[in-house]
Amino acid sequence: MTATEESATSLEQTVAGATSSRFSQVFGTLTATMLAVFLLFALVFSPPDVSQRDAVRLFYIHVPSAIVALYLAFGITFVASIMYLRKGTDFWDLLAGSSAEIGVLFCAFMLGTGMLWGKPTWGVYWQWDPRLTSTAISFVLFAGYLAIRRLDLDPTVRSRRAAVLGIIGFLNVIVVRQSVQWWRGLHQGQTLDLVDSQLSGMHYFSFFLGLVSMTMVFGWLLLHRFRVAWLETQADAATLQTALAERQAEAADYTARPPDTGGPTTTETEGI
Amino acid sequence: MDELDLTPLDDSSGTPGGRSFRNPLIIGGLLLVLGFMVFQALTSARVFYRNVDEAVAERAELGDETFRLQGTVVTEPTADANGASVFIVSFGGVDAEVRHVGEEPSDLFEIGVPIIAEGHWEGEQFESTQLLVKHSESYVEDNPDRVDYELEETVDR
Repeated sequence: MTATEESATSLEQTVAGATSSRFSQVFGTLTATMLAVFLLFALVFSPPDVSQRDAVRLFYIHVPSAIVALYLAFGITFVASIMYLRKGTDFWDLLAGSSAEIGVLFCAFMLGTGMLWGKPTWGVYWQWDPRLTSTAISFVLFAGYLAIRRLDLDPTVRSRRAAVLGIIGFLNVIVVRQSVQWWRGLHQGQTLDLVDSQLSGMHYFSFFLGLVSMTMVFGWLLLHRFRVAWLETQADAATLQTALAERQAEAADYTARPPDTGGPTTTETEGI
Repeated sequence: MDELDLTPLDDSSGTPGGRSFRNPLIIGGLLLVLGFMVFQALTSARVFYRNVDEAVAERAELGDETFRLQGTVVTEPTADANGASVFIVSFGGVDAEVRHVGEEPSDLFEIGVPIIAEGHWEGEQFESTQLLVKHSESYVEDNPDRVDYELEETVDR
């Protein structure tokens, strides 16, 4: 077995099962348990709302997924993008990309649950209201961010462009948050406030469980997505090293070959 | 003779570990969607509704233009001769009569609830084709047992 083959085999062995660790296994089990407890409270123990009745249960899923997507996931992308532009390391680039991927997933979930909630309360699934429109813009911006990360460009150029969009995308999150204050719309105002929250009792507790469990789901997914991205980078680097080594070996083999066993002789080319 | 293979290696990775989008149409499509959303933000979302007092004050300028009217329902809806629901909404101390001919609103529609009606002025009346119910940002647990207990206490006293 050659050195390059050994290197590739070693990488394959590293990759096999490498996105899990003892910590991530325990964390994953805790996350699953927390999700089950949350669903029990959200769907069974929590009482209905006096006006919205059982539709309030969508609040426990919709709002935590919004917080995780917009503030946590896109916030990490924002910070990691700034750090990438400053330091230029793979770590920050991969962290920004991994977090954005999961953020887009949560954002889609948030938009979907919001639409399901809108029908029994507002009477429609969708309206071009300031909050809904700005949230949809955030979703498209970060979907564009992911698309830019897949463009066929020089990796550094691509990562820099993605980082700039990651920063711009997060600035729109501020617009999303303030949209219910700045403009009139169909969407209700701020329910959660550090000083004066509009939730109490079991409603608040169920929401809190939802926020904790969704944050744990995000953390678990981010851990694995980042590890996969990191291993992919390592695999790409190893592939390149292997290819270079193969080319160098071929070239060495070709140049070391005696002249009489190689190309055409002077006599053979004379008639050409 | 052995030939030196100069064929470039296939680099399909594009980005670390991922497949590359070779077709920029995806980016173009997203830009179109984004452009549409920004257009919506600058038109529909910017002035989503007019309050009753504003709409009444601007009735002459609005003419038969379609817009959204926001106010709190203050009367029970009654059916007119053509089967349309007629009720009064109020905001800023000004009332307006709404005649709704569209789809039924959501179950949350009742007196005291703010609604947004989309339609236009027909003389003094607002002809609505769509009714949206705004719900409050406050949530109150429905605990029938607790209310009964309090009522019993009150009755006992």
